[in-house]
Amino acid sequence: MNKKKVYPQWFLLAPLALYVVFFLFPSLLGLFYSFTDWSKNTPKAGLHFIGLDNYAEIFTSSNNYAFGIANTLKFTVVSNIVKIVPALFLAIILFEGLRGMGAYRTIFYMPSIIPFVIIGILFTSVLNFKNGMLNNALEAIGLGTLKQKWLSDLNVVWKSIYMVDAWRGIGYVMTIFMTGLSTIDKTYYEAAKVDGANFWQRLWHVTLPMMRGAIMINLVFGITYGLKVFDIVYVLTNGGPGHATEVMTTYSFQLYGAGKYGLSTAFNSILLLITAIAGIVIVRVMSRKGEV
Amino acid sequence: MKKLLCVMLCLLLAMSLAVASAENVVIEAVPNEGQFEGQELSILVSAGWMDNRYDDTIARFEETYGVTVDLQTLPADQYFNVLTSDLDNGTCPDVFWTQSNPAGMLISMIGDPENRCIDFTGAEWQNVMPEARQAACIAYGKLFGLQIWHNSPEYVMIYNKTLFDELGIESVPTTYEELKADCAIIKAAGITPWFVPGKDGWQHQLAFFQIGGVYEEAQPGLFEALNNNTATFAGNEKMLEVLGQFKELNDLGYFEEDWIATTSDNMANEFGDRTIAFAMANSSYIKQLQDELDTEDEFGMFLIPLGDNTWFPTSPAGPTMFGYKGTEHEDLVRAWFQFVCTPESLQEILDNSPNYTNLHVNVDIEQHWLPEEETFVESIPAEKMNCCVLQNGTKYTNDYWMDFGNDMIAYVQGTMEANDVLAHMDELRAEDAKTVGDENWQ
Repeated sequence: MNKKKVYPQWFLLAPLALYVVFFLFPSLLGLFYSFTDWSKNTPKAGLHFIGLDNYAEIFTSSNNYAFGIANTLKFTVVSNIVKIVPALFLAIILFEGLRGMGAYRTIFYMPSIIPFVIIGILFTSVLNFKNGMLNNALEAIGLGTLKQKWLSDLNVVWKSIYMVDAWRGIGYVMTIFMTGLSTIDKTYYEAAKVDGANFWQRLWHVTLPMMRGAIMINLVFGITYGLKVFDIVYVLTNGGPGHATEVMTTYSFQLYGAGKYGLSTAFNSILLLITAIAGIVIVRVMSRKGEV
Repeated sequence: MKKLLCVMLCLLLAMSLAVASAENVVIEAVPNEGQFEGQELSILVSAGWMDNRYDDTIARFEETYGVTVDLQTLPADQYFNVLTSDLDNGTCPDVFWTQSNPAGMLISMIGDPENRCIDFTGAEWQNVMPEARQAACIAYGKLFGLQIWHNSPEYVMIYNKTLFDELGIESVPTTYEELKADCAIIKAAGITPWFVPGKDGWQHQLAFFQIGGVYEEAQPGLFEALNNNTATFAGNEKMLEVLGQFKELNDLGYFEEDWIATTSDNMANEFGDRTIAFAMANSSYIKQLQDELDTEDEFGMFLIPLGDNTWFPTSPAGPTMFGYKGTEHEDLVRAWFQFVCTPESLQEILDNSPNYTNLHVNVDIEQHWLPEEETFVESIPAEKMNCCVLQNGTKYTNDYWMDFGNDMIAYVQGTMEANDVLAHMDELRAEDAKTVGDENWQ
């Protein structure tokens, strides 16, 4: 074997070992524990293999865990739509040479570096029905009829979560799109203009195809974020009101806190499976389009 | 047998409320012979259980023995997850706190106390605790914990007496119908009758659980049957009635408009601004209102009238301190427990607890009962003080406090049926019983 080709592979050993020890092994161990009755009583009663009981519990329990899975999928789809579409247009507007682009970019990006705990404190205050800034502002401009119980009305609470999540995430998504836009050669647009293409035609036939990489990155990041969403729900509603905004991770967290580790791990295994499938599908689809 | 035990314990607790304990246990600190010099004692506690109350005692302990105390105070909503992890991983601090009650909560919270807690059986300080509280610290016949807690009549209705008088409400409501009638008067005056901070997640369900005597009275032997797994929450007529009443009050708009997303942070100010008329709180909350508010208004208390309740909320439960068996400083831990139980420390702890008026101990310290508390307790017949609150009189119930609260909100919002709320509690209790290997659930 060519020594020049083998030599660089030695550098892979250290990261590979770290990956196996700290990611692959714990993941496989977690998968194993999801088939056991691992709980806070295990030190006393021992660990027993229980087959698919934990998985059956998730889909048949009166706790309605399946509702949490459905909510997670719903959040993944909607939160990505409300972030990616506006972020794309914002990126295009800013990239078109809007004055003060740098300042706007900074302003839009800032929320994404604020910790979730701070966002939770901030928005539970802003969205407070009685004294919150949003309802007071609506009242002040004569739109009092639009006042809402933002975090407790079943018809509104998810919209509030999407809104806050978009506020936090749009700047980040937009930054990736701007990087993608900067790689498109201006001559494509000039040629399109010469051919009489309007804005939407240029967007559809030039921008979007050329931004495939940026879109894929945002989709992969957005979907994995959506599937494992926890923080934004936890700090805003903690799964409430009642169980209306429970997602997979809030259930998993509660089960872990209650000492039902096996069941909690089963939840995480389902999450791992869904995330892996979604990731593979996106990469495959986007790669195939790239080949055409 | 368990019911009899519970009733006896509660009776003891109730008697000690009105009458100063005849027993006066005096504990002396372990003599300092330099045996602990340079050691560190770590304590894991949830916010609100020690706060600044123990600061002076900790400082004296450090000074007395030449040691340092590492106090690790965690937010309440994260505490049990961290404690459970620490106990499972064998990384628990020398001393840890958890909730405990006489209905076996110690075992369900800690899992395996014999292998996780220091056995204090025979410790001098055991009798510092009244017998009712000792039961919350004993499992498998061994003493594991120390419960030094307050005994104000807990979570009754605190109301603005002056406001009631001005609105022409001559007496406090004693039945559900009277409560509704009073709420109508208060609401008509533009004031929120009942302040329920649902966002806290742990307050609103007090309305259901604090009236344990109501359920036991409606179905004698219920507590024992629930503990033996021969009765269920589901289908209990009285419980369904109380849940229905809670929902009706919500539907009538007698709670804060957005009570589900409201926290208790602003409760004192709401009282001060007269935007609310009453709320569930510890009776000593009156002292807090008097201290914090610039108001001439007088405050009083009445029993939670749901289910036409006439029972005093007796509850020999609370945060309890345990020694971790895996500690490297077992003698230091034992010295700490003994130090806390000295009269000087207990007086210090009470004096540094501005929101509480007493410590429930068999030690002759100066209590700070409010006249309102004494009057209230005297107005309750002794036989109405001998039944425990539901969450601490029945096994595996308190562990699912937050879950039940979420279910109550789901019921109020119409996404869950009342009986499903109760059935879910049965299911959760059964899971817990199964987890700890309770033979009644085998």
